[in-house]
Amino acid sequence: MGDPASGLLRNVERAAFSAALARLPAALGYRIACWRADSLFLRQDSKRTEIARNLQLVLGNELSPAAAQQVTRDWFRLASCEAVDVKRLRHKTRPLRRLVEIRGREHLEAALAAGKGAILCTGHFGSHSSGFSVLHASGFPVTTIGRWHYKYTAGLSSAERRFWDLYLRPVRRHRQRPNIEPWPGRPQVAVLAAAALRANEVVTIAIDAPPLDSDRARAVQVPFLGHRAGLLPGAVTLAQVTGAPLLMGFVYRAADYRHQVLEISAPVPAQGETATAFERCAAEMSAAISRSPAHWEFWANTDDLAVLGLIPPQRDGSPDAPALQSDGRSLHNGSTDSISARG
Amino acid sequence: METVINDYISRELVQDPALLPLTDETSLLDSGILDSLSLLRLVVFLEGRFGITMGDADLLPQNFASVNTICTYLRARDPGKQQASHG
Repeated sequence: MGDPASGLLRNVERAAFSAALARLPAALGYRIACWRADSLFLRQDSKRTEIARNLQLVLGNELSPAAAQQVTRDWFRLASCEAVDVKRLRHKTRPLRRLVEIRGREHLEAALAAGKGAILCTGHFGSHSSGFSVLHASGFPVTTIGRWHYKYTAGLSSAERRFWDLYLRPVRRHRQRPNIEPWPGRPQVAVLAAAALRANEVVTIAIDAPPLDSDRARAVQVPFLGHRAGLLPGAVTLAQVTGAPLLMGFVYRAADYRHQVLEISAPVPAQGETATAFERCAAEMSAAISRSPAHWEFWANTDDLAVLGLIPPQRDGSPDAPALQSDGRSLHNGSTDSISARG
Repeated sequence: METVINDYISRELVQDPALLPLTDETSLLDSGILDSLSLLRLVVFLEGRFGITMGDADLLPQNFASVNTICTYLRARDPGKQQASHG
């Protein structure tokens, strides 16, 4: 990754560039973002190779080598566009809101009408953080369960943490409450989430996060992308205990790269055995990734894929410090479930 | 009150039979009995059983360290109500 100072400088440059693109007409801004992504795709050899290899390891025969390259290129484009999305959250999200269609809002309205809040399950998929900011600005009080990566990535300087704190401020601004951050030693996470649900808010949870070491014993093995993955079923348990309906929400980017759809499902049945109910959510997530593989952030996170059990364990290595743009997705909330973080 | 809470935790939240019988001093957090979701179950139970509502400020780990500390906390926050509920 190079030294921290040059990494920070690179992130600042990329953030400034994304901010400039966000002020252009959308068609032009997102087109330039894609050009920039194509240039990074060509230059970042190791990242490109890593993503293509992970795609083929997980999806196997579903993807030809040529298709894997195409998805990889698209992954870079989506990451680049997501950085622009964040910068379009200014002015109460209006610049981004006019590009995002919310489908299935009637499901969310019906769920909230019962007064028990709603749990919106998602994954590290598409521009989910900005999409939920748009949802909040559209009148649904949104609170997110998730950790901000810059708070826990080891080795970040205070300047880098400050950068990420400022960079993500537009996302944070469009939430009902501060993120409910699961950590070991912080057992009140589910109770705080329940409090948000009691206040009839929408609580978002990414169910595809690799479990923390302290939570692995609680992971359940579910069919996922043709494999079995160890995921935390906390969203289902939360729904069972609180009575809040469980819905799925995914943000898809259109072929023109500037328009997006936040698709909200009808409630997924959460009754019955927890693992069985959670399998339904994982199946929805898995189907979304299979349909639009480039939207999934984790193709570049080899260690996370290994922890999930989707690829064999990799060589030893500490996580890199996050970078913006080609890693634009590492600006997201990091692991966003771990709701059962042990105290 | 101790008996009611101890019974509930023993019956519903303890996963490892080796931890039973549960004493009122057993550390619920260090022993792994309480994690995020089991704490939620316990809070829902306490609210229903004792007619209280817990806010963010009540969710301090020290209030849930053991059956005894839970009872101390409940008595301190609303002495009259706990007495009536129990009596």
